Amino acid sequence: MRVYLIALLAFAGLAVAPFGIGGYETNVLMMVLFFVILAVGLDLVTGYCGQFSFATGAFYGIGAYTAAIMTRDFNTTIWVHLPAGAIVAGLFGLLLGIPALRLKGHFLAIVTIAFQTIVYLVISQWTSFTGGQVGLPMPNAGPVTVFGVTLFEFGSLRSYYWLTLAMTALTLLISWRLVNSRLGREWVAIRDDETLASAVGLDTTRGKLTAFVAYAALAGVAGVLTAHSLRGVTPDDYTIWISATVVAMMVVGGRGTFIGPILGAVFLAILPELLGKFAEYKMLIYGVLLVLVVTLMPEGVVGRLRARAAR
Amino acid sequence: MTAPILEARGITKRFGGVVAVNDASLTVGKGQIVGLIGPNGSGKSTMVNLVSGELMPNEGTFLFNGTDITSLPSHRRARLGMARSFQLLRLFHSLSVEDNLLLANHMRMKASIAASIFGRSSAREEEQRARARARELLAWFDLQDFADRPVSALSIGQQRMVEIARGMMSEPSLFVLDEPAAGLSPPNVDKLIQLVRRLRDEFGVSILLVEHVMRVVRDLCDHVVVLDSGVKIAEGAPDAVVKDPVVIEAYIGTGWKRRAQG
Repeated sequence: MRVYLIALLAFAGLAVAPFGIGGYETNVLMMVLFFVILAVGLDLVTGYCGQFSFATGAFYGIGAYTAAIMTRDFNTTIWVHLPAGAIVAGLFGLLLGIPALRLKGHFLAIVTIAFQTIVYLVISQWTSFTGGQVGLPMPNAGPVTVFGVTLFEFGSLRSYYWLTLAMTALTLLISWRLVNSRLGREWVAIRDDETLASAVGLDTTRGKLTAFVAYAALAGVAGVLTAHSLRGVTPDDYTIWISATVVAMMVVGGRGTFIGPILGAVFLAILPELLGKFAEYKMLIYGVLLVLVVTLMPEGVVGRLRARAAR
Repeated sequence: MTAPILEARGITKRFGGVVAVNDASLTVGKGQIVGLIGPNGSGKSTMVNLVSGELMPNEGTFLFNGTDITSLPSHRRARLGMARSFQLLRLFHSLSVEDNLLLANHMRMKASIAASIFGRSSAREEEQRARARARELLAWFDLQDFADRPVSALSIGQQRMVEIARGMMSEPSLFVLDEPAAGLSPPNVDKLIQLVRRLRDEFGVSILLVEHVMRVVRDLCDHVVVLDSGVKIAEGAPDAVVKDPVVIEAYIGTGWKRRAQG
């Protein structure tokens, strides 16, 4: 119960934040929320189910391009794009889950890097379909109507921020329910010992595929939100650097702790904003942080704190 | 003999050029404790992994309760009522003792995964019942005080008991015990012997017991099968089998008689 109360307070605070801060800060907060969704999603497949993935940026991009291409070709709105982005990314997640049935550890990681590279090449080179290096523009999401009555106009920064906040709350709630369900316990069982999981009658194929689909679908949702709030897509927003950043967020915060990747995402996404002109060195800083955390406390900051509290 | 619960017929397993198990057959009757013994490298562990479905045989058939299970993967065999323990202890090390048992009951749960995700009452009640059963079983194994502890906090002897409790949690009709006495102190071996006998007598579980410790085999088994270099060289009552010259030769090598006399 305390968990829900703290979460509720945090979201209430974030909901009123735009009234007290400027546009720049609101933009930063929104970007932090995108990374929170991505890091929690990656934690499902890697932290809980134990399957490495360096393809977060690819699923993020698949969600974003789904929204952009549907806008161009079908003139649909964000309310269609959110489920569509989750489904399309989820299907690609299923596709990437198939090699995970045979491959483990480093070999799986290499396959996910290959997948990330292929997706980047497709969105940057297939100019007639994806707009190539220039990307695709997107119009405002437009008015929100219920039975023909306009509730509010979609277009201001604040409206995108609130939608992102609401979707973050929803995805966190779904993820929380997932990891605390029977399925989440099976993911942990697969991570701990796959042979044993199978010997006690668990279907490890189902476990791994569901984890990949949940991860990819969350990244897809983040992609749709990003595409709409940035008013367009460009391939360079969905590179392997995004994947590496999200891995760093999850590992620094603490794999499989749920709250760890959230804090990791907040910390590492805000950090470059505080660095001013040194922001261009952020990947260097992420790299050093990652090496330090992996060698000194592989369970991450939250994982270490929990282990200490349990003693 | 009672009706067989497990029948292995003409099982052969090759790893490249090495024949680990060669045309071996064995039968476990309902309510029986059958021992599988043999010197190191005789193919016992391979045979266990073939029975449980971790490995697939090149030739031969497995029948479980009369059904052909030869091509089924291990999780499907578990669902039909086959549990196993491991020579090198295997537990979900990041989970509590109770959660370890609970996972062995997942395959029996009727509520859908979706019901569990949405926290529907049917799924919650089912999980509460499973937790209550896990606690009952832990009490039976004298482990009730450790239910909420992480398994990694337990001693090897206790972890071995958790492993057997986990097997029982799945309500098996056949329990394959792979060297359960390995790493146990002599008093714990005595406890293990009593416990395995009670499993059979009180729960009616049939047991296939792979074991190195001869005392365990002689005290418990109704029937013993001996493997050497993947070939079945003897079978019968435990006391008869351990006196069989062929078996003794397999264990301590040829020429033992001459050396013993000289």
